[in-house]
This record gives sequence, structure tokens and C-alpha cells, in this order.
Amino acid sequence: MSASAEDAPETGAAPPPPSTAPASEGPEPAAAEVKVDVSASTDAAPPVETEKTIDRKVGPQDPNTPPGYAQGFHFGSYGRVVAGGDATGRPMRNADIVAFGSRLDESTYAELEVRREDYWEATDSYTRMVMTLAMANPVFHYTGNFDATMAIRNLYIEAADIGLKGLRVWMGSRMYRGDDIYVLNFWPLDNLNTVGGGLGYYFGRTAIKLHAGLNQPHSGWFKQTIDRPLLNNQLGSAEVALLDRQKVISSLKVEHVVPVGQSGGVKGTAYGELHYTGAGQREVRDQIYEDLPADKGFVAGGQVSAFTGKRSTYATLVARYARGLAAYGEFNAPVQLALDRTSKGAHELLVSLAGNYEAGPFGVMLGSYYRIFRNASPALDYRDLNEGILLLRPQIWLGKRRFAGIALEGSYQAQQRGSTSIADDGTTTPLFAQVGRFGIIPFLTPGGQGAFTRPHFQLIYLLTARDAAARSLYAVDDVYARRGIDHFIGMTAEWWFGSTSYFRD
Amino acid sequence: MTARPPKAAALALASFASLAALGGGGCMHFEAFDEPIQLQTHVSDWRDEVIYQILVDRFADGDDGNNYNLDLTANARYHGGDWKGIEDNLDYLEELGVTTLWISPVVKNVETDANFDGYHGYWAQDFTETNPHFGDIIALRSLVDAAHERDMKIIIDIVTNHVGQAFFYDINNNGVPDILIQGDGSNGKSEVKHVTEYDPDFDSRGIQAFTSLGEAGPAPIIFQYDPASNHIPPYPEIFSKAITYNRKGRTFNFDIPDQLLHGDFPGGLKDIDTTRCDVKREFVDVYARWIELTDADGYRIDTIKHVEYEFWRYFTQRLRQRLAKSGKKNFLMFGEAFDGNDALVGSFTRKDFYNHWTPDKLESAEALARDAECGGDGPPLTGDMLDSVFYFPQHYQAFGDVIRNGAGSQKLADLWASRTTNYGNEPIEGGIGIAPTKAQINFIDNHDVARFLFWLQNEPDAVKYPLLHNALFLLLTMDGIPCIYYGTEQDFDGGNDPSNRENLWSTDFDTSGTTFRLTQRLIRLRRAYQALRKGDTRVVWATENTGAESDAGIFAWERFGGDAGENYALMIMNNNRTNPASPEYMGARMQLAVAPGTVLVDVLSADKTQYTVEGDGGLGIVLPPITRALLIPAGAVVDGL
Repeated sequence: MSASAEDAPETGAAPPPPSTAPASEGPEPAAAEVKVDVSASTDAAPPVETEKTIDRKVGPQDPNTPPGYAQGFHFGSYGRVVAGGDATGRPMRNADIVAFGSRLDESTYAELEVRREDYWEATDSYTRMVMTLAMANPVFHYTGNFDATMAIRNLYIEAADIGLKGLRVWMGSRMYRGDDIYVLNFWPLDNLNTVGGGLGYYFGRTAIKLHAGLNQPHSGWFKQTIDRPLLNNQLGSAEVALLDRQKVISSLKVEHVVPVGQSGGVKGTAYGELHYTGAGQREVRDQIYEDLPADKGFVAGGQVSAFTGKRSTYATLVARYARGLAAYGEFNAPVQLALDRTSKGAHELLVSLAGNYEAGPFGVMLGSYYRIFRNASPALDYRDLNEGILLLRPQIWLGKRRFAGIALEGSYQAQQRGSTSIADDGTTTPLFAQVGRFGIIPFLTPGGQGAFTRPHFQLIYLLTARDAAARSLYAVDDVYARRGIDHFIGMTAEWWFGSTSYFRD
Repeated sequence: MTARPPKAAALALASFASLAALGGGGCMHFEAFDEPIQLQTHVSDWRDEVIYQILVDRFADGDDGNNYNLDLTANARYHGGDWKGIEDNLDYLEELGVTTLWISPVVKNVETDANFDGYHGYWAQDFTETNPHFGDIIALRSLVDAAHERDMKIIIDIVTNHVGQAFFYDINNNGVPDILIQGDGSNGKSEVKHVTEYDPDFDSRGIQAFTSLGEAGPAPIIFQYDPASNHIPPYPEIFSKAITYNRKGRTFNFDIPDQLLHGDFPGGLKDIDTTRCDVKREFVDVYARWIELTDADGYRIDTIKHVEYEFWRYFTQRLRQRLAKSGKKNFLMFGEAFDGNDALVGSFTRKDFYNHWTPDKLESAEALARDAECGGDGPPLTGDMLDSVFYFPQHYQAFGDVIRNGAGSQKLADLWASRTTNYGNEPIEGGIGIAPTKAQINFIDNHDVARFLFWLQNEPDAVKYPLLHNALFLLLTMDGIPCIYYGTEQDFDGGNDPSNRENLWSTDFDTSGTTFRLTQRLIRLRRAYQALRKGDTRVVWATENTGAESDAGIFAWERFGGDAGENYALMIMNNNRTNPASPEYMGARMQLAVAPGTVLVDVLSADKTQYTVEGDGGLGIVLPPITRALLIPAGAVVDGL
């Protein structure tokens, strides 16, 4: 059996740090603080099955089907290029207040994937080397700067069927994640970016995946280099890494698919992570040292997806609980700590519901979640929050060949912060911010109908309404602090094809 | 194939429910968030209280969430203490026995200036917001509530004299702050002057602009705008207007009333024109609001001698009236006049329109006219001002000269004798119900002066600690309201500001030290014996002698009568570092008010030593060097203390 379009999609590329960021990181409000916009996302369609055999033929030509194993070099890509701005001519900018909101005003991002795939007759196994080069905004034609913001998002090799049919082994640097919510550009259950390795074993309709990796977020909580004199009567100094600790992240995922009907099914996923970093010491002032204790955390979660197997119709429910170090997300250093200088007590609870339904020329996409985050410091403060979003995107494909269409997108998002404001009359009220968004998106779709058919050529009008509390999330004189209503007008080209990042197991 | 309910899905849903339960903290419960807050009167007699002064940044760090730009290696930078830290350590304070916590200012400050931080709280920038380093309004209210639950009270420190480094004087009209050198010193004719536009020397005309061609009229003032250091125009709006300030530059001679009252406080702290009616009203509004938001029990008021009497008349009377309407009475307002002049310090508690700065010592006609103008918004203003003041003269003369430096104790007796002259003898109307002469805030040291032990660093332990214990003995047995600076109980010995602002958490809140135990015991005794709190004072022995005379170092005083009725206590201390001493000299003996034959018990002594009052009214008691005795009539001794 060849891997099909409905194989378990592990899509996108974002490392979404779902917690907090130091105030010094910039003027963006809370929602923006927790977003690192290097993301992409594609088809969130659920799997039909996880029984894996290798397609030894050249991969299909349809760019909306996943690549199979085939000898030789291969190329894939995800990309979106966005042009637009607000009604006054200012550049586009994400206007969500929640961590993961509408993707319509996400900025330009692209990935170029190069693979080398081989069949090894001696062992009847396969290997696949993947290198993914990612580029983020701004692009040359916008600034004129001959420069680019780039990252290697994948650099690993995987062997399949080695020693045991269904066994996969990989090592390297890898985006390692599960299903996303396309309309929110969000991976609610698992989304890891580490350097390490993993095992996967696929049998029947069940898959077990084990992984362990390392990363070192760019933070003085993990690494500090300081100047120190040289010995042996040498002149000058050398940089010494006084604090240099890594985060160890391991994960275990068990998936099982129960077929329902001719093409549908239900996929259940149980998921867990363990996070750990060792003790260290850093210099707080010249030769004054501070001990940092070891820290740890965990994630426990699960997912249930029901799908028809036809026209990407599915619904996915995710629940996820993270505690301690893991509550801050994989690439964040914990801040606002417990009194013992650890992340003990920090936690995040997330429940999400997403789906897609298509019938005839109509379709509707759903993305929603509710999230609670508490940092490790005992009292409620500004960076403790409850937030949620409900987003619907109905769309219609037009014409006999359905090469065009119109989508509408409406969302409501709200966020409560762990702080209060005092009104002139002396009453104290919790900070509760609300934003409503409504968009009209006419599009061209050369691949025809389908919520996850790409490429797309989109024109976008997106209205954003924010209340006074939402405006208060931004700094004084920020236009978002001044405006209750915003208009985004733009165009977006989006594609994906032949990339293991989006059609992977 | 027929669709069937997947068991796995059911199991997963059950798991989700369990996970949701794990996140049970989902709803945000703002503890102490109780609208509207009901003000209450928590104090019946402030003399029953023992105040403990806390510099919030240095007491305890209870919440890492508000730690921002800390530098624990520098005393002039933020260290991380907060209101949660205090709340978390109320057990320690309760064990010590203190009953009222005076916390450093709560309002938002200029963050940092010239590499000094506003950790102390006296650099206000926004009078309406909390200092986020210490917590939010919920945290402050939570502290007050937690204290009240233990029958403890909270006093908040406030400033009305100045704001932080808010603006600079654009003396050379170039629009940017400069530090100028004028003159070259040539031939002794061109004086070299160093002028900083942030903090120029006082000019009674107002700071003048100056160019190479000479003076150019009043210098414009330009409010700074640097959000990172929170140098932004002060708030409420009135404090961002130039006209609200005196704009005369930095006081350099505190003996000149114009400079004292209208000059900027050294460090560039801009002096507010507190004669303006709009300023008076705004301060009543902002500071009434903090009490209405927290139910705190009193204000300690900073730099009162730098503010006109008329301001205090308006501010204190209107504030009392407003709070009383909401149920807050017995609201203590005491001020800090950092001065050894007893008449000046006491003047802020008088109600006879005394003015220390006028030639005839009477309030000026202009000020009285402004009383009428500003006070037109309510009942006519009277002469009432503060309930109490810090007894700074006593700090210098008793704790400094007599106890620490061995001066004759007659100095202290003389100081006490002048109370009724220099301080108000009648309670302030609507105030705490106690005459200022009997409600002075007594203190050994505080955050503005070097600690008591600092001056004794070179003395042996057998001298410096007993002297501190004598100081504590005096503090906790004398007339008035005692105030202990945090860390005294831990033998802190820091020098002048900021070295006297150590981190209390460095002691691990140890309660086993000798000084802690003595302080604890003295507080228990004060609470047990009404005479120590409310009795009138009668000095029964004081001396000019400081040498080898039989009474050198002795100071003795009785407390009885007044609001203490028949309760009686006799205190004797010997500050002589080398010799035993007794309250008698050259045939003269101490004469007690209790009848001959009365048996007095030294409740501080380990064996409860007893003394009988002799026929001539004297007492045969000899105190070893640097010791003390607290004598209670045998029938009134409370066991177990």
C-alpha cells in the first residue's frame, strides 16, 4: 500500500512557545510575545491508517499527495508570501491577542526541502536524508537588503524497515510533531524541535514513537559566557562558558486507528513528554555567582480524531497538560520562577477542537482552543492568563472546475490576564480583553476544490475589532493601543508540495 | 464494514476529563479581591501597638514574578523584596511580637536614575499605580488583609513634598540636559561653576536661563521621557505641569526657610508647590484612594518639614474627614521631620497655628488666606495637623548621646521635660484620640540614618550588644509608640544609606538570637503591663555624671497614672560601660511614687529579684555596667513572660 494523502500529517514548522517571554523582548502584547513567527502549516487532514509499507515507485505527480520513498534526490516546499497593510498604509502585522489566532495576517515564510532517498538491497531497507532550509520575512524585494533570515529546520537521516519491517530509526535535527490546526497555525498536542533521535514502530493500525533530543534555548538561563584571564602568564582573555546547560526532551507517542465504515475511522493518540535541565551556575556580577538548580517538567496529553476519509472531513479533539519546565514550551527559558528558582508549579492546560467539513461546493473549517497558563511564581500576575479562540472559515468553490472560491472567516478571541485595573470610581476589575475578527478571502485554486488543496492565490480583507482591554495590552502610542478597529488588506500566495514536513509519519 | 463505537475514543475522552480536572486552577481567583472594600477601624489605642519598619525591597522576596532588573550585589539597586514576601513571613513578625508594619512607599517610582534605583519608593512617578516591583493592588490588599487577620496593622509610607527626577532645567536653552562647566578661573575673576541641569543649586528667583551673554530669564523645564527608566511625566496629570512645581533648584542650605520649603530635594527630586489648592486636593484624592483600596491603617509621611504648615492643615483634616465617612477612624498620620530641633519637630503636632519659619512664630496672613480659599470645599480648617511625628531629637540625644556615647542622662530628662512645650498637648480632632505629647514615634534608628551598631563596630561584643539592648529597653518601655527598624532584632550594623538597608532574608529569619529574644520579651512585657503603654512618665533619676560617680550612666523613670490608672512600673538602666551604678549620688536618692515597703520585682532578671522600697522612698539597687531593670509591684507581676 502506498502512503496516501490521508496519512497522518505532521505539518508545519513552528516552535510555538506557549507561555511567556520577558518584557524586554519587545513592545508586542501578550499574544505576540508568545509567538515565534517562523511557522507554516498545511493539511490537517487526519490519517486513515498508520500501517506503513514503502512505495518503491516514483512518487505521484499530484503535489497534494505525500512523497513516497524513491531513490534519488527530491525536492519539496512550503511557502507563503504575503503583501498587504492596513487601511492607512502601514505594513501588515499580526493583530491576534491570543497566542494562536488567525493565520490570515501571518507574515512571509518559506521552506525548501531537499531529500536523498535510497533503497539498500543488502538489508532490504530504505534511508531518507532530509535537509530543510527555512526563510522568514523580510524578503529582498521588500527591503532591498541583500540579506535573508534563514534557519535549517530539518537535517536528519531516517532508516526504514531496518532489521524489522515497520521499524524506523532517525537521528539528526528534526521538526517532530503531530497534527496541526491549519486555520490557527497551531500544533496543539506535540510540536518539538530538537537535535537527537527517535524510533518508530508501526504495526497493524498502531504506531509507537519514542524520541529523545536536546536543545539550548537562546537564554542566559541556559548559557552564559564570560571573559576570564589566561593562565601561564599570557596576555589577554578567553571566553568561558560558565553556564552551559541543555534541555533534554523525550517524548512517547502511541497512536491507534480504528476503521469506521469504508474509509473513515477514529484515531486515538496518547502522548507524553519529559523535560529536564541540569543544575548550573552563572555570574550575576563580576565574580558573584548564583546557583541554578536542576529543573524538570512533563507533558501528558491525548487526541481523538474522527474522519470520514473523504474530502478531508474530520474533527480533532486535543487535551494537553504541561507542568514545570515543560509548561513554558520547548524554546523558552522559564521566567517568574518559584522561590527555589525552579519552574515548579508552572502549568499549562490546553483543550482544542478543530475540524473540516466539505460537501459539494461548500466547506467549513473550525479552529478553537482554550488555554490556561500559570507561571511558577505564586501570585497571579500579568503573565498568567486564560485565553481562547473560536474561529470558523466557511468557503465555497466556484465554477465548473472549481478553480476559484470565496472564504469568509470569523473569529472571537478573549484573554484574561492575572492582573487588574482600577477604574476612576475605585472599582477593581480583572483585565479581560476581547477581539473579534472578520475576513473575506476570494481565492484561486489551480488544484481545484478542497480546504487543503494548494497552491492558493488569496486576496484578503480582514477587519479586527478590539475592546479597551485589548488595546491596553499594547504600549502607549502603539496604533493597536489607539485603534478599536483595524482593516487589513492584502494578498497571499501559499503552496506546499512534495515535502516530508507536511506529509510525514 | 459497520461503524462501531471505538473504545479507544471513549477511553481518550475519559482521559481528557481527567486532564481538565488537573487544570482545576483555571479560573482566576484574585484573593482579597472583594468589591467594594469595607473600611474598618482596626486600632483602639495606638499606644498598644509596636511598629516595625520594613523596607519592602529588602525584607523578603515572595514572588519571582515581579523580579525585574535586580542586582543583589549593589545596595542601591533593586533586590527583589515584595509584599508577598512580607505576607509569607508574618509568622516571623508575629513571633517577634510587633503589631504594626510600616511599609515603604507603594506607588510607582522612577525606575533608576544615575545608576541608583527607586527601590526605596521615595521617587514617585505615578501616585495612582503600585510599584510593580512589589506587586499589584491585589498583593497589597492581600497583605493588609492577612495582617488584619492576625490583628496586625499596616502603615503605608507616603511622600507629598516631591516627585522623582521628573524634569531638567534647560538653563542653556538647547533642549537637552547638560552638565555644564561655566567660567575658566582665569585671574581669579572667572569663577568655575559646575552646573547640572538636572539638579542646579537653589535660586530664590527660580532657576534662571543663562547664556554667554548673561541671564535670560526663567529656565524652561523639560519633562524627561525615557520609558525604560520610567522617567516619564508624573501622574496624575497635575504633576506633569510645570506650574505645579516651585522650580527653584536644589536646596543646599536647609537653614534657610525658602530653600527648605521650596527647593528640590537633593538628588534632583522636584519640589511640588504644596501651597496650591489644586495640589492639596489632588493629594487628598490620591492618598485617600490608597486607603479606600486597601483598608490600611495609617500613613507615615515623608519630609514634612519641607512642606508648608498650611498643606498639612488641609491634607490631614480633609483626609481624616473623607476616611471617617467610609468607616476608617483612628487613622494614624505621623511625619518625618529629619531634624534635631525639638521645637521644629514638635510644631507639626500643634494646633495653635505655630509657624517655625516666621519671625513671630505665627502663621502668615497669606497662608491663612489660602486656608480660607482652599478650605472652602468643606468645614473651615482648624490648626490641626499630624497626630504624631518621629521623635528625631530623642534619636540623637537619647539613643545617640546618652546610651551610645555615654553622655549624662540629664539630657534625656530635659528633652522629655520640653515635650509639653514643643508638642501638641491635645488630641487632634478626628485623629487617634491621643495627645501628640504621648504618641511620639520613638525609634532607635531607621532607613535614613546609620544603624545603632554601626557606630559601635570597634567596640567589643560585651559593650555594643548590651548597649543595643539598653536602647531597646528604653524604646519599649517609654511613653509613646515604639518603632523598630527591620533588622535591629538581627543585630544589623549597616552604615548610612544605603548600607543600612540590608537583606533580612540573609538571616534566614532566625529567631534564636539574643537580640531577637530580648526584643520579643520586652514587647511581651510592654503588652502585659499597661503602665508601659499608657502610664504617665516621671523621671526619678537623671544625672550629668559620666565618670566614676556612683550614678554615672543611670537613668530611671516611673510610669503610672494617666490612662494606666493604678498600674505602676519603674525602669532603671545603667549605660556606664565600666562601672556599676545606682540611682543615688552624694547622699541624694531616687524618690519613688510608690509607698515605702512596696516590693518591686525585676521582671527582666532571671531570678525575679525583689527590692523593697525603703522608708525614705528610695530603692537599694545597684546595676552592673550596661544593664537594666524593669520593676513591677510584686502583686502585679504576670507570670510566664
